[in-house]
Amino acid sequence: MSQDSLFPKETSFSPPNDLTGIRAKVIGIGGAGVSLVDGLRFDNFESVEHLAVDVDSRALSDSIAGEKLSFGRRHTRGMGTGGEHTLARKAMEEEKDIIRKKLDGIDIVFLLAGLGGGTGGGATPVIARLAREAGAIVFAFVPLPFSWEKGRHKMAEGCLSDLRKIANAVVPLPNDSLLQMGGKDATALECFAEAGRYVSKGISAICSMVFRRGMVDVDFVHISKAFNRRAGRTLFGYGQGEGKDSLRQAVRELLVCPMLHLPNVSKAADVLLIQITGGTGMGMAALQQVSTEIREEFNAGEHVVFGAHVDENMGDRVQITVLGATDLEAGTKVVDVAPVASDVISAIPKSKVAHPSKLKEKQRNSKSNLSNKKTSSKNNDKLDQNTFSFMDAENQRGIFGDLPARNIYAGEDLDVPSYLRRGVKIGI
Amino acid sequence: MSKIIGAVEIGTSKAKALIGEVSSTGSVHVVGMASRLNEGMRKGEIVHFRKAADSVHSALADAEKMSGTTVDEVYLAQTGSYLKGRMLRGSASVSSSDNRVSSSDLQRASDEAKRREPDNGRTYVHHIRTPILLDGRIVQDPVGMIGSKIDLGYWSIDGDDQAIKQALHVISNYSLDVKDLILSSIASSTMMAGPDLRRAGTLVIDMGAGVTDFALYRQGFVAYTGVIPVGGDHLTGDLSMGLRILEPYAEKLKIEHGKATSEPMEDGDDVWIIGNKTIGDRAIPRKAITDVIHVRIVELFEIISKELEGLLDPDELKGGVLLTGGASLLPGVEQVASKILGLPVRKASFPTGIANELAQPENATVLGLLHYGLEDHSLPGKKRDDTEVGFLSKFRKMVGLSAQD
Repeated sequence: MSQDSLFPKETSFSPPNDLTGIRAKVIGIGGAGVSLVDGLRFDNFESVEHLAVDVDSRALSDSIAGEKLSFGRRHTRGMGTGGEHTLARKAMEEEKDIIRKKLDGIDIVFLLAGLGGGTGGGATPVIARLAREAGAIVFAFVPLPFSWEKGRHKMAEGCLSDLRKIANAVVPLPNDSLLQMGGKDATALECFAEAGRYVSKGISAICSMVFRRGMVDVDFVHISKAFNRRAGRTLFGYGQGEGKDSLRQAVRELLVCPMLHLPNVSKAADVLLIQITGGTGMGMAALQQVSTEIREEFNAGEHVVFGAHVDENMGDRVQITVLGATDLEAGTKVVDVAPVASDVISAIPKSKVAHPSKLKEKQRNSKSNLSNKKTSSKNNDKLDQNTFSFMDAENQRGIFGDLPARNIYAGEDLDVPSYLRRGVKIGI
Repeated sequence: MSKIIGAVEIGTSKAKALIGEVSSTGSVHVVGMASRLNEGMRKGEIVHFRKAADSVHSALADAEKMSGTTVDEVYLAQTGSYLKGRMLRGSASVSSSDNRVSSSDLQRASDEAKRREPDNGRTYVHHIRTPILLDGRIVQDPVGMIGSKIDLGYWSIDGDDQAIKQALHVISNYSLDVKDLILSSIASSTMMAGPDLRRAGTLVIDMGAGVTDFALYRQGFVAYTGVIPVGGDHLTGDLSMGLRILEPYAEKLKIEHGKATSEPMEDGDDVWIIGNKTIGDRAIPRKAITDVIHVRIVELFEIISKELEGLLDPDELKGGVLLTGGASLLPGVEQVASKILGLPVRKASFPTGIANELAQPENATVLGLLHYGLEDHSLPGKKRDDTEVGFLSKFRKMVGLSAQD
């Protein structure tokens, strides 16, 4: 037997899931969602279950997901919805008890669904609501149709805003922007595959935090606390580095990650989850430095969840994944410059969670720190003015994101860069 | 006796104020001009009143200081995507028994044309007269001619009440009166396209920071005006997103390396974002910059071409297309425009007699405001209502900045 095939199992850091008792479920909804679930590649998270949901029972039978659920038979007789999301929504509402059963006892739900489709667009918000009612935190990764598919695009945007009101974090993956991914000569298909890899990375990052013991440990309570709010706008990015300067390189790659520069992405985060996985050579001091840098970059507030894991398989490679969310309700308020280590929840060892009093004390301290900082930072804020205008929370349409009205001409938003809408690939 | 007159353009990137001294001979000297960065405006609309007002006021104050005088009333440029133009027509039959056209006939036709009320919540900003037809023939001045029916039209631009009120409010806060509202595209096109070009037929496109204004002239008259809410700022935004860099760096790259079309020779080149090769600096292929800009510029001219559908007849537009405004400084923009509009395109140049420091494309509108404002736009056979400047029917010459006459 070759060494390669031995490695993954032996070096797995994940303890048996029974220890954590946390259950996660990836749910693919509709055609695009199911194929995303099937394409997921992450290693040995045994406690992550896969569920494929569709009205089209034939499409479902091709899926390799562990569990399958077809619904809406009464309305569609097992065929597709034909793009009718109202139909899917109605069918899902009627059969919500079946899905409730599937959600029973699940702590983390990942929803994958193409919002341009009937099933994905219609059923996803319903499932998200049911999952939230069942007490799970819900992360959604949702591909959006091209903007030239005007009707579908508009519908998908409606579904997206519904979903944002319910899920804890929604990461939109607009097809327009997916075309920008991959190398210079990547084909459209390769770009979509790239998107699948990003989704895998995102889910693995969260799962690593929850299910694996690491250098800097985070547990489920931290994550659920951090994301336990309605978080409309999200950011999601990934960077990888290799060699001597791998950590630095990973940060650099993260900052130019195409996923962080989509029109729908927030540039600042109220909640930020940073997950770093690296080889044995990863030093604590360097990690500290990098986490501070990333926090400042995203202007993250009090809620930063930082996790670091050592994986011997990584060699001299380092991967950084960030997932952040901005509360839409909190709206326009710009968060102060990232406060220093004192209030990074992650820094608190696991055991301390059991002593809430200390936690509170810490938070109180950090709050007073923060207010002190605010007054002092007022003066030197001027320097950062340019950076800040870019970092403003409402950054939906790049630099025009702060304007109330959208710049619609013949069904297209002219404030969204033309190269995105026209599907022109920019090689940088 | 001379008179002081001002012009104000509240632009998306800069607020500009101009003060001119009109001498008794009718010549105008620009005696003061100032511009201030305007952060209160986006895409031609005021989004932050206080900031916009501040920059307009300080521009006005600077211009007044420079000229050593004060100004009482100004011409104000109007732009923004909320403006809508349409053709209003009116006609009148000649009333006198000998069929001689009198000025009251013209007035009746004009009144009829202007009778049409704008939609609720909107106000007319500007009426631009189109040719007068006497029994179907175009005539310059029909008064005294023989005929039976007069037709005339106005290309009338109406805009959102609130937006207009806000702009007026900016000026009145400085205790100034707005003498007239003038459409930005009309102001810049009267400046950049002389009477002969307008007669030959020409399209003037003013590419600003927030919006692109355009005006199409046929046979010396305005046939169409429009505002596309896309400007130089969009190029910056696109670059910032496409190259994944901060906005100030995107702006810098646009100005230093921006091109509308790529030259194959340069495709391999890289440029540095910050330029000092420090941490965070990164090389970007020149082609990526050009690609981002090219798609946006192509789209912009495609939209203009669509708006002007049927009007882009080379036989009617012998004067070709003129580009002005800050964003027209982008190299290669004429070639792209020419390809899409199917007409010869060139960058507009100022008429002679304007000082070099003023003759910048971004000043076309504010200079044009004075130019247009002092021209006589009343109906033939009628005195200009304003007796004070009524005798200045022509804006004869402009000279450069001079403190005193």
